[in-house]
Amino acid sequence: MEPNGSGSDASRQVQVRFVTRLPPPLRVPPASMAVPSHLTRFGLSDIVNLLLKNSDPDHENQPFDFLIDGELVRMQLDEFLIAKGISAEKVLELEYVKAVAPRKQEDPRPHDDWVSAVDGSNSSFILTGCYDTFVRIWKSGDVSECTHVLEGHTGAITSAKFIDIRGVENEQNFHLVTGSKDRLLRLWKCDAAKRRGDPIRVGAYKILAGHTSSVQSVSVNPSREMICSGSWDCSIKLWDVKESEEDGDGNTISLKKRKVNSKTKESEDARLEGAATSTLVGHTQCVSVVTWPDPDVLYSASWDHSVRQWDVPSGKETWTMVCGKALNCLDIGGEGSALVAAGGSDPVLRIWDPRKPGSLAPIFQYSSHSSWISACKWHPRSWFHLLSASYDGKVMLWDLRTAWPLAVMESHQNKVLCVDWWKDDSVVSGGADSKLCITSGIEIQ
Amino acid sequence: MGKEKYEESSSDEEVNSSSDVVEASSDEEVESSSDEVEVSSDDVESSEDESSSDNEKVEESDSSEDEVAPRNTVGDIPLVEWHKDEEHIGYDIKGRKIKKQPRKDKLASFIEGADDPKNWRKIYDEYNDEEIELTKDEIKIIQRVISGRTPHAEVNPYEDYVDWFEYEDKGHPLSNAPEPKRRFIPSKWEQKRVANLVRKIRAGLIKVSDQHKEEEHNVYSLWTDDTDSVENKKHGGYVPAPKPKLPGHEEAYNPPVEYIPTAEEINSYELMYEEDRPKFIPRRYLNYRSVPAYDKGVKESFDRCLDQYLCPRTRKKRINIDPESLKPKLPSRKDLRPYPTTCYLEYRGHMGPVNCISVDPSGQWLASGSTDGTARVWEIETGRCLKIWEVGEVARQICWNPSPDRPILAVVLEYDVLLLYSGMGDIDIQTKMKELLHISEPGATEDAGDSKSAATWIQHEKHDGIRMKHFKAVSSIEWHFKGDYFTTVVPSGDSKAILLHQLSKKHSETPFRKLGIPVTAVFHPSKKKFFVATKKFVHVYDLSKVEKIQKLETGVREISSISIHPGGENIIVGSKEGKMCWFDLELSTRPYKTLKVHSKDITRVTFHRTYPLFASASDDCTAYVFHSTVYSDLNQNPLIVPLEILRGHKPEHGRGVLDCKYHPRQPWLFTAGADSIIKLYCH
Repeated sequence: MEPNGSGSDASRQVQVRFVTRLPPPLRVPPASMAVPSHLTRFGLSDIVNLLLKNSDPDHENQPFDFLIDGELVRMQLDEFLIAKGISAEKVLELEYVKAVAPRKQEDPRPHDDWVSAVDGSNSSFILTGCYDTFVRIWKSGDVSECTHVLEGHTGAITSAKFIDIRGVENEQNFHLVTGSKDRLLRLWKCDAAKRRGDPIRVGAYKILAGHTSSVQSVSVNPSREMICSGSWDCSIKLWDVKESEEDGDGNTISLKKRKVNSKTKESEDARLEGAATSTLVGHTQCVSVVTWPDPDVLYSASWDHSVRQWDVPSGKETWTMVCGKALNCLDIGGEGSALVAAGGSDPVLRIWDPRKPGSLAPIFQYSSHSSWISACKWHPRSWFHLLSASYDGKVMLWDLRTAWPLAVMESHQNKVLCVDWWKDDSVVSGGADSKLCITSGIEIQ
Repeated sequence: MGKEKYEESSSDEEVNSSSDVVEASSDEEVESSSDEVEVSSDDVESSEDESSSDNEKVEESDSSEDEVAPRNTVGDIPLVEWHKDEEHIGYDIKGRKIKKQPRKDKLASFIEGADDPKNWRKIYDEYNDEEIELTKDEIKIIQRVISGRTPHAEVNPYEDYVDWFEYEDKGHPLSNAPEPKRRFIPSKWEQKRVANLVRKIRAGLIKVSDQHKEEEHNVYSLWTDDTDSVENKKHGGYVPAPKPKLPGHEEAYNPPVEYIPTAEEINSYELMYEEDRPKFIPRRYLNYRSVPAYDKGVKESFDRCLDQYLCPRTRKKRINIDPESLKPKLPSRKDLRPYPTTCYLEYRGHMGPVNCISVDPSGQWLASGSTDGTARVWEIETGRCLKIWEVGEVARQICWNPSPDRPILAVVLEYDVLLLYSGMGDIDIQTKMKELLHISEPGATEDAGDSKSAATWIQHEKHDGIRMKHFKAVSSIEWHFKGDYFTTVVPSGDSKAILLHQLSKKHSETPFRKLGIPVTAVFHPSKKKFFVATKKFVHVYDLSKVEKIQKLETGVREISSISIHPGGENIIVGSKEGKMCWFDLELSTRPYKTLKVHSKDITRVTFHRTYPLFASASDDCTAYVFHSTVYSDLNQNPLIVPLEILRGHKPEHGRGVLDCKYHPRQPWLFTAGADSIIKLYCH
């Protein structure tokens, strides 16, 4: 039982029992055993692999992470026990989970300019927005393949989101919304089934105008019928996309036809403009990010240092939290989909729990970055994992159960501007080096 | 009481007369024997008379020696030696010799003694040369004395104590309390005497002199050291050498552990100045013989000798004031947050020193002008360069129009001012700005025709803006807060040095005539006031009446920049010698505070629009951030607290930070460096 082979400090041992919630082939017998107390998670991982190999000769070694009382072990066992004040006399229960780490770095997808928006909510396509005013759709696969280019914006794209994949799997139709620095939101529809060598060029079927300054962020509500947008004009606007879908359905093709025919785009755009259904006013500075996690609840973060929660039906603020820094990113997720993660004009990623009464202090603060945080994203299913991207060129993967990042992805050479999860096990990120980087193989149970 | 006892005892002796009788008889025997001797002597008769008279006395009185004077009168002399060979043993009271008794044969005397039962009581008196027979009482007394008791059995040494006073229930017979003052009866005669003296002193008949004091001065200390005298101090005289330090425990060969410095302490000595470093570092040795020779011994004693006789000494007057107490009481920096501290974003792209920056009123974009002949617009949030204008000349100053409806940039080139549309508006604004920045040809010719006009408005074709030609080099530009008027300063323009322009009418005028060489001019942030800084003064004008209100004396050599507090009643002035002056217009025309912070020229001072902050940028590559609270209460002076020194720019051709501007809404500071980088410092 000495996988490390050192055995020099064999006098100090800890009684441990390995438990897990993993499926049976990865379960070890529940007997307790004595292990040297100087082991780190690598040593413990070796022990578990050895035990698994004893029961199943075909087992392949893989790294594990270990939890003691809901906290990841990130140092030597004895140091951890001392730091947490846990008695070494009792049998220690070590829960092991599969280690979360990126395993594969896919080829970056090159762009013509800075990649400023990315959406990975569709499992087979990635949506990216770029400073060259184009929105691109990339198909998953080993080769970098741009299937669609959406053109029409006159300013840099700040935000791009899938609204819905309409229809059934065999004929995939995208419904998208994008926000841009040209003060407009555009709604797009395109057919995924068509595939040719060159990317298909698509025009917007509807333009949502109303903001008087750059649109910074758009978000789609869970029922996929409404969208909201935050802008530099300090307002949040809500737009209805449901009805436009119905009457816009027939328009798409005709629009394309007309586009080919006439070059007078502006007049065409004017006819297709939609108006906001309501405006939420309250922020005093640029609304840098909006998210819509619940049908009735909408969150926004702003450069006026506040995170606000809005009740959508009444359009009233229900909760305000002032953090002291200008905020650039916000996401809702984690335990009960209620934790608020936000980052901004300092290198600290903060997480608040709005359910906690009376306290506006962040419950977690992660400060491994060295510059502004530009994006943060909770894992769609895990309660513990979230991503953060920073102007220092790093994307970090965090687990709430430890204060250190699980993984640091240094795939960008310049500022990282946007990041998202893709297919639950990959991270897509775009940055000022005009690349969309995909890091895959992150296994999260 | 003792005396009475004595008397009693003497009376006792009188009682014992019977024993005296016995003695008397013995005396008679002695007498008879002496008579025999007297026969042979010369004066027989007389001796007989005397002896008879003696006998009478003996009979009358008792035999105690106190009563009877000794026969012999020679005194206390060693009789045996001196009268060994003499026939007499001394002299009696009348001076006659006392003959020695014939020596008795020892055998005869023994036989005589054996027959006589009283022989044991006889003793020989050598002085008087006679035998004395002691009485039984006397023997008893001797025995009692020998056994340590009182000589007389009647005396009881341990008599019962008779308490002559009664203490119980009586208290102390007398009180210890001091005499109360009420019992004092002032003497009538003393009072009269004092009154008489007072009257005489008042009348001048008695003079009171200060003789006592003079007497005191005459006394001086003979043995004190001269070094402390006033005379010596006055002339800066002899100052004794300081005493060498006595050896302490730390210099022992095996000092206690607490004297031994730890390794950390020894390392910290290395960081100290040579003078402050301790001269001797204690060490421990196992025993005395392993102590090495003290290598500095000769040198130290030599130095001491030099110090003793060569070193001139003076007395230093040291004022013992805690330096901390001299510091002004300032609030903690933590309480004054937020303020810019760290650089997180850099705006790179310029190829030459960035001379000027300006932030648009919404806080979304940043404009900059550089020596490389370009003016650029940056996106503050990401650091992306959005737009570049090739202006072809060094951009000296750039200024964003403060009105949000007019995204217009004013760029100062050598002789020209360019008014450019920034391109940061939607289509409506774009068309409006195009109209605004369009000059109809007749207007231009009109201006050109006016030879007196200081500036000419010309359409700039390349950048689709307005080019304003000045007749001499322009140094600065400043917009009015409403965004229609702006001012340019032409330092060498004499009477046309300050120009006021109106954008909507494309019209220029020179309202201020008599001025020195102006450096810069700014508008009041809310009132119709105008500030013109010349090299040493700041003139305050009322714009509606076009007259001078105030003249501020800065006291600096050359003003480089000026900034007005958003409240409008306080201004800061930066100078080329690194000094910054704060003026409170309602307080005085002299600086309320002068801050000497920079080692080189101050290039720019600036106030924050909303936060109580101001900053200064200098060629020494630093920017200082200050907190400044201006109270609405006029009695309270503004509070100025230095907060942070921002470093990061590199010097280039002796220049450092060329411009600094605050973000209009965030506590962030932009600095433009000669190293062609713009930095953003965030809180």
